[in-house]
Amino acid sequence: MHHIIIGNGVAGITAALTIRERDRSAQITLISGESDYFFSRTALMYAFMDRMSLRDLEPLERKVYDAQKFNRIRAWVTNLDATTRTLTLDTGQTIQYDALLLATGSRPNQLTVPGAAAVKAGLVNFVTLQDLESLEKWTKLGGKAAVTGGGLIGIELVECLTHHGMQVDFFVREPWYWPAALDKEEAAIVTGHIRHHGVNVYLEESVAEIKSDTAGKLTGITSTSGKQYPLDLLGVSIGVHPAIEWLTQVKTPPATKRGILTNPAFLTSLPQVWAAGDCAEIELAQGKPLVEQIWYSAKRQGELAAKSMLGDSIAYQPPIFYNSSKFFEIEFTTVGQPNAPGSETFFHPFAGAEASIRITWRDSAVTAFNMLGSRWNHEFFERWITERRAPQYVIDHLAEAQFDGEFCTLPLAEAQSNFNQSRSPR
Amino acid sequence: MIRQTTYDRFAHDITNRGISAWLLAALLTSFYLVLYFTEGLTPVAKAIGLDSKWTLYGLIYTIAVVAGGIFVIRRYRHNKYQVVRTCVVMFVQSILAFALPQFLKAIHQPEYYFSYFWPLKLDYLTPNTIFHYPLPIILYSFAGSLILVPILGAFFGKRWYCSWVCGCGGLANTAGEPFRHLSDKSTTAWKFERASIYTVLGICITLTALLFTTYAIGPKHPDLAAFTYKFQSFYGLIVGTMLSGVVGVGLYPLGGTRVWCRNFCPMAALLGLVQKVGRYRITVKKNMCISCGMCSKYCEMGIDVRSYAQSNQSFTRASCVGCGLCAEVCPRGVLKLENVSAKAPQQRLVQITSHRSEMNHSSLR
Ligand SMILES: Cc1cc2nc3c(=O)[nH]c(=O)nc-3n(C[C@H](O)[C@H](O)[C@H](O)COP(=O)(O)OP(=O)(O)OC[C@H]3O[C@@H](n4cnc5c(N)ncnc54)[C@H](O)[C@@H]3O)c2cc1C
Ligand code: SF4
Ligand code: SF4
Ligand code: SF4
Repeated sequence: MHHIIIGNGVAGITAALTIRERDRSAQITLISGESDYFFSRTALMYAFMDRMSLRDLEPLERKVYDAQKFNRIRAWVTNLDATTRTLTLDTGQTIQYDALLLATGSRPNQLTVPGAAAVKAGLVNFVTLQDLESLEKWTKLGGKAAVTGGGLIGIELVECLTHHGMQVDFFVREPWYWPAALDKEEAAIVTGHIRHHGVNVYLEESVAEIKSDTAGKLTGITSTSGKQYPLDLLGVSIGVHPAIEWLTQVKTPPATKRGILTNPAFLTSLPQVWAAGDCAEIELAQGKPLVEQIWYSAKRQGELAAKSMLGDSIAYQPPIFYNSSKFFEIEFTTVGQPNAPGSETFFHPFAGAEASIRITWRDSAVTAFNMLGSRWNHEFFERWITERRAPQYVIDHLAEAQFDGEFCTLPLAEAQSNFNQSRSPR
Repeated sequence: MIRQTTYDRFAHDITNRGISAWLLAALLTSFYLVLYFTEGLTPVAKAIGLDSKWTLYGLIYTIAVVAGGIFVIRRYRHNKYQVVRTCVVMFVQSILAFALPQFLKAIHQPEYYFSYFWPLKLDYLTPNTIFHYPLPIILYSFAGSLILVPILGAFFGKRWYCSWVCGCGGLANTAGEPFRHLSDKSTTAWKFERASIYTVLGICITLTALLFTTYAIGPKHPDLAAFTYKFQSFYGLIVGTMLSGVVGVGLYPLGGTRVWCRNFCPMAALLGLVQKVGRYRITVKKNMCISCGMCSKYCEMGIDVRSYAQSNQSFTRASCVGCGLCAEVCPRGVLKLENVSAKAPQQRLVQITSHRSEMNHSSLR
């Protein structure tokens, strides 16, 4: 059996390891145009800030690839012919598979505002190693930078540029930072923190027009409120989409919508072709088709897709949503679906700390946790949500889920008494 | 990418094995060679009113620990574990490992370092030396080395000594902070470490046994006595002088701060074994690691923490000194240093979930 995996990201590499664990003799080939070895995309910011070298981003020692007998090919796949089970690479080479996994990840969304097409230099994304390279080139020149798009990648880019001494404007289209993940109160804490680092945060404002000189070098923007901002660098982090563009050019494209469509076993519309990770759109047994674009889901999907390739019967069912992030120094853990209609919430900001907890429930069963500025073990939250625990139970047992380091424990009693007061009959 | 200021370029060079790092390593190594093998520093000590080059060395060492400690406390001021730990390290070095022995000497008492124990300080258990001390100190030394050290090790792991008390660890975690990431993370380095450190421990225990035997029957066997004392001074030269001093500190800018602690220290070997069966461990939060590698990068013992974290394995490595930096730098709060008792809630949960089939990359190790 020759298993070929396009994409050596976390989905692809997890699939490769899973196949190898079960089948010592299978031929496994990893193809990627971006890098020779699997690297941690989530750590790009630490390479940018010189806290790690590019080599440090590689989660596996290089000798593992030989030990696991993975063939590695550094190339872009340009054609997929499912009738002959053949791939063509941009090097001209063709290669045949018995089973193929598409784990091509995602691509950054681009600005389509007036003037964007004319820019040849100074407009950057922050997703790939190549993006990092061009960012570094522009950062070296110093000057004024802006980042548009208020999500996690955006704030990471802001932190990096600030670290390099650039004056940074941060444009957030929404009324507060990252409404998809944060409520207004948490966002206020985070925004205060970002501003404290010298960043200008502009809420409800985004890029309306991009200006560049005759050579195509970016010179500034006009914002949606009509203001002019002279700039040397504009970072665009307005979300990502599954990397499916290349599939429109191939001989036998698999069915796609937002991403590469798969059934709950990660099988695409093509025989012997599976998809997993950021690029996949899974039509679940029930509910809406699912595109998951985080590290944890890519890892999970990569493992399950591999098992499906090996013949296991798989019916993907995503677990309760959880994620974590860090906004400069503030850590954040979220579990569950916070904004469900009809839910009630308890929010407690801790006095004198950039920390807060938020517990959400509906029909007196907890549904979500949003914890800012301290560490929590999400497994407890998941369990309490599954067990449909009452908010009072959760508040009383909250200490069990604390994961703060020794001597650093958040004083929960304050929050607990606040909760009990708010619930006691007046 | 390096920040574009002269200071940052230099800081990068010296902390990333650049030319200035090699120069610093040469400087540190020569300092130790001059200190150990010449009297070059004696006049300097006398000139500033100190009685010997060793007092001068103690003073420089203490200043390095205190200055480095202030730097570390500023850097990690948001993390109380680091602040408390660093304060203790500074206190132990300046009082127990400097001021108190100097004071004892001044009042014509034996110069004894209450923060050192066998087998790190061989002399503190071996009869030909320790029996020259007053009885309370002999008792303290035996009880400390044979009872206190292992018991605390079983409860808190080797960290109570290696990153709270010991002067070598103290220097590594203060003045050495900028170099901590230079430790080699490869499995090859791990193999070397295991071979070398238990070899040193074996030699150390053999020598200690020989010294006791010699003490008991030496007068009747002058050949044995001659051999033992030669062996002892050879051990002192190789292990005490060359490995712990010249190599241990001299190589900070090239091999990181724990070259000695990791590969050669007999105390580390012993405490590591205790740690393996004791309560200390690093708990890994399940499925939260993003494989960024910050933990591995900043582990001064060269432990590939990421390999455990990304495969959801809580772990206790014999070499882990419990500095807590992996947990500090982890951007996703995945790691927690713990002394696990059976009733700890984290432990309970791990037991519940550990038989679930999770991502298992143990085939990589
Ligand atoms: C800056 C940044 C920070 C992030 N931080 C977090 C975080 O903190 N937490 C979190 O959960 N998620 C985070 N994410 C998202 C996370 O990194 C992704 O969800 C995850 O990497 C997806 O993995 P993947 O294997 O599906 O795809 P990728 O890692 O994107 O891998 C796909 C690979 O396929 C290759 N490829 C694509 N097309 C072709 C082709 N035609 N031929 C050859 N090769 C091809 C690409 O070059 C790429 O190397 C972050 C993302 C970014 C960009
Ligand atoms: S390993 Fe040895 S020298 Fe290093 S801190 Fe521990 S006891 Fe001290
Ligand atoms: S594993 Fe963590 S606590 Fe242990 S030595 Fe390494 S960084 Fe320190
Ligand atoms: S620092 Fe944290 S998230 Fe990063 S690899 Fe280590 S455990 Fe995983």
